[in-house]
Amino acid sequence: MGRTLPSITQSLSEEQAAYARFRRALRRADQLALDELFVAARQHLAAAAYAANALPMETFLLAMLLEEHKETARLRALLEGLLERRGSE
Amino acid sequence: MSSPPDEIEGWLLDLYEDGERGLALWLIAADGRRLRLRQRFPVCFYAAGPAARLRELWRWLAGQPDPPRLSRQERRDLFLPAPLAVLCAECAAPAAQRALFAQTAQAFPELTYYDADVQVQIRHAAVYGSFPLARCRVTLDAQLEVRAFQTLDSPWELDPEPAPLKVLELNLREGSPLHAPPTRLELRCGAWRQDLPFLPGDAPAYWVRAALRRFDPDILLTDYGDTWLLQELLGRVKDSLAELPLNRDAEHGLRLIRQKTYFSYGQVVYRGQQVHLAGRLHIDRKNAMLWGDYGLEGVLENARVTALPIQTAARVSPGSGISCMQMITALRQGILVPWRKQQVEQPRPLLNLIHADFGGLVYQPRVGLHRDVAAADFTSMYPAVIVRCNLSPEKQAISLDDPPAADPGLIPQTLAPLIQKRVLLKKRAAQLPGWDPRRTQDKARAAAQKWLLVVCFGYMGYRNARFGLISAHEAVTAGGREALMRAKEAAEDEGFEVLHLFVDALWVQKAGCCAPQHFQGLLEEITRRTGLPIALDGVYRWVAFLPSRVDARVPVGNRYFGVFQDGTLKVRGLAARRRDTPAWVARAQIALIEQLAKAPDAACLGEYVPGALELLRAELRRLREGRVELEDLLVAARLGKPLDKYKSASPAARAAAQLRPYGVEAQAGQRLPLIYVRGPERVWAWDRPQAFDRRWVDVAFYRRLLLRAASDVFQPFGLSERDLALRMEGNAALLSLPASGNLQAQ
Repeated sequence: MGRTLPSITQSLSEEQAAYARFRRALRRADQLALDELFVAARQHLAAAAYAANALPMETFLLAMLLEEHKETARLRALLEGLLERRGSE
Repeated sequence: MSSPPDEIEGWLLDLYEDGERGLALWLIAADGRRLRLRQRFPVCFYAAGPAARLRELWRWLAGQPDPPRLSRQERRDLFLPAPLAVLCAECAAPAAQRALFAQTAQAFPELTYYDADVQVQIRHAAVYGSFPLARCRVTLDAQLEVRAFQTLDSPWELDPEPAPLKVLELNLREGSPLHAPPTRLELRCGAWRQDLPFLPGDAPAYWVRAALRRFDPDILLTDYGDTWLLQELLGRVKDSLAELPLNRDAEHGLRLIRQKTYFSYGQVVYRGQQVHLAGRLHIDRKNAMLWGDYGLEGVLENARVTALPIQTAARVSPGSGISCMQMITALRQGILVPWRKQQVEQPRPLLNLIHADFGGLVYQPRVGLHRDVAAADFTSMYPAVIVRCNLSPEKQAISLDDPPAADPGLIPQTLAPLIQKRVLLKKRAAQLPGWDPRRTQDKARAAAQKWLLVVCFGYMGYRNARFGLISAHEAVTAGGREALMRAKEAAEDEGFEVLHLFVDALWVQKAGCCAPQHFQGLLEEITRRTGLPIALDGVYRWVAFLPSRVDARVPVGNRYFGVFQDGTLKVRGLAARRRDTPAWVARAQIALIEQLAKAPDAACLGEYVPGALELLRAELRRLREGRVELEDLLVAARLGKPLDKYKSASPAARAAAQLRPYGVEAQAGQRLPLIYVRGPERVWAWDRPQAFDRRWVDVAFYRRLLLRAASDVFQPFGLSERDLALRMEGNAALLSLPASGNLQAQ
């Protein structure tokens, strides 16, 4: 039994490793932010596997963007709620 | 003058090659007699290749001292579109066929051979529909030679008439004789039981002989009979088989199959030596496959549906079983069974590989604690996909949307009755009351069938599988992914939140849905969209999906535990489920979950955490005070490769090295019981002959193991391994329980 292709988890680890030099040159705070982006990509491994894109990093970038967008939407809703409450006070 | 033929009904216990005479059949007659019958059973093998070489083979075979009957035939190779011209060689007896074929393959190695190495029991099953414990009617002549053989029932019968099997147990209750020579031997047959001292000398062998004479058992059920007990007993008498007639068949000796190590599914597997009997069946509980899962009932069911002899069915992997079932289907339809598979994977574009070659979908669950969650899984998903989409090497696959195939291929034909029987048994077991003995039986039988169905998919992609094809294998996972996607879409369309998807299972939740009937509509919708049966595994009172051990922000697919509404636990991916976890750690981890499971509702789960912490503290105290049984601290570590191949020794390798001076050579794949001790060696091989002093136990190591296992249970409550360690040191006052933020089950 063998694998012909790396698993999606392996692909992500490899892509992450490929950016090791980039990460090293970042400031510590930025390094942590970058790590969080990769954690965000990990939330959608199953979908990335299902997509079976020949260039998986594209899918990972989209997954990061997706989590960012969700976070933006959450913050926007929160902010609008706060503004509404202040307006009504 | 011979007497007129005699007609007898009974159960077929076993059959095997009997030299020139063909086959020996053991029949349990309806009147209780055990009969050794003989049957002539000519068998064929086929050769294909260039016409000129086949003519040469014909001449060569015809010139043999005992020439087979030769003919030219046209038959079907599953992998070829047109019928194939073959040379058929029919030998008078299976033993002769084996010998002749070995010479033929050596003399004409370039030809393609078929039906050459099919076990005689499989051939018999294909011709007569026979299988172990089949109810059958035989017509005999005065020499007990079978004139006619008729099978009266089928392996797919739900309630076959049970054969009156007599089982003699030889039990060694004290554990492995390789660790310490046993002091007691228990003999047991039904209500009769004798507990005897395992004395030196020949006495134990004679006690066993007396029991064999008294009961004449059909099955000898032993502990360590394969690897130690039977040979030990035989070694204690002078003329072994005459004085201790383990076999019923005096004309055959014991059949020993040597221990072996092989590589399967990424693991090195060790199988101990096997001792097969003739005329009687020997099953060693400790060397049987999955005995703990399904026991004797499962072994017998396995033999019935695969037609493998019971002694073999008890010991081989389910892969061999499914392969035999496929061969029977092929033989019955005149499809050739390749001797060595010729098919190799064709080159194809990389993109094609990227799109096709991956497995089941594994989602990242929503980490944390969730309440009122329904878990449902597709019943035997991959086999069901194979049947539904008609996935077989010789067929064009159909999609989940197409109507069912009118002409099922070889693989779907083989699987369909097995799936059907399993579904019926499971359904019935679920409806029977707890006291009904059929419930346990049905469950064991369904468990045996489960393993056959589990491996049938993997077998399609196995390069040596006779009827495997990698693209059919890939199509199965593709069908599985499609079905799971449709299930997810159906759930979301009906307003459920999908918490997790795992290959063939999904976990869903919706406000107000907390009873099985609330999810029934969804299940029906999924079956409508996929054409595959799906069943509710249960509704969880609460379930916790755990994150990765390495990064708590990252969810992982298969680490969770929870409690169903009826109070039963489900635990996956935790230490308690691992085979290399000491029994003490596994039990303590389960006890912690059981303590939490006492909470009637997820909302009051927090109230049960202090009790669980107290339990953990008590276990650690027991360890510190040396009150944990040493056996419960044993770790069964697997030797991953031969000892000499290790560069830096693993715990198992160190244990193996400790055993070497005592003449015990551990094989790769073997599990070695060991205990962690203080000192440079770190481990102590349990099977070392010296006495063990319990003060050597590395208490700190076992403490860490338990804390680690416990931290998985407490993780959803915000307690890390470090927090637990601090609490256990008595600094509980410093740490208040985390606010119930985490406990607010979503």
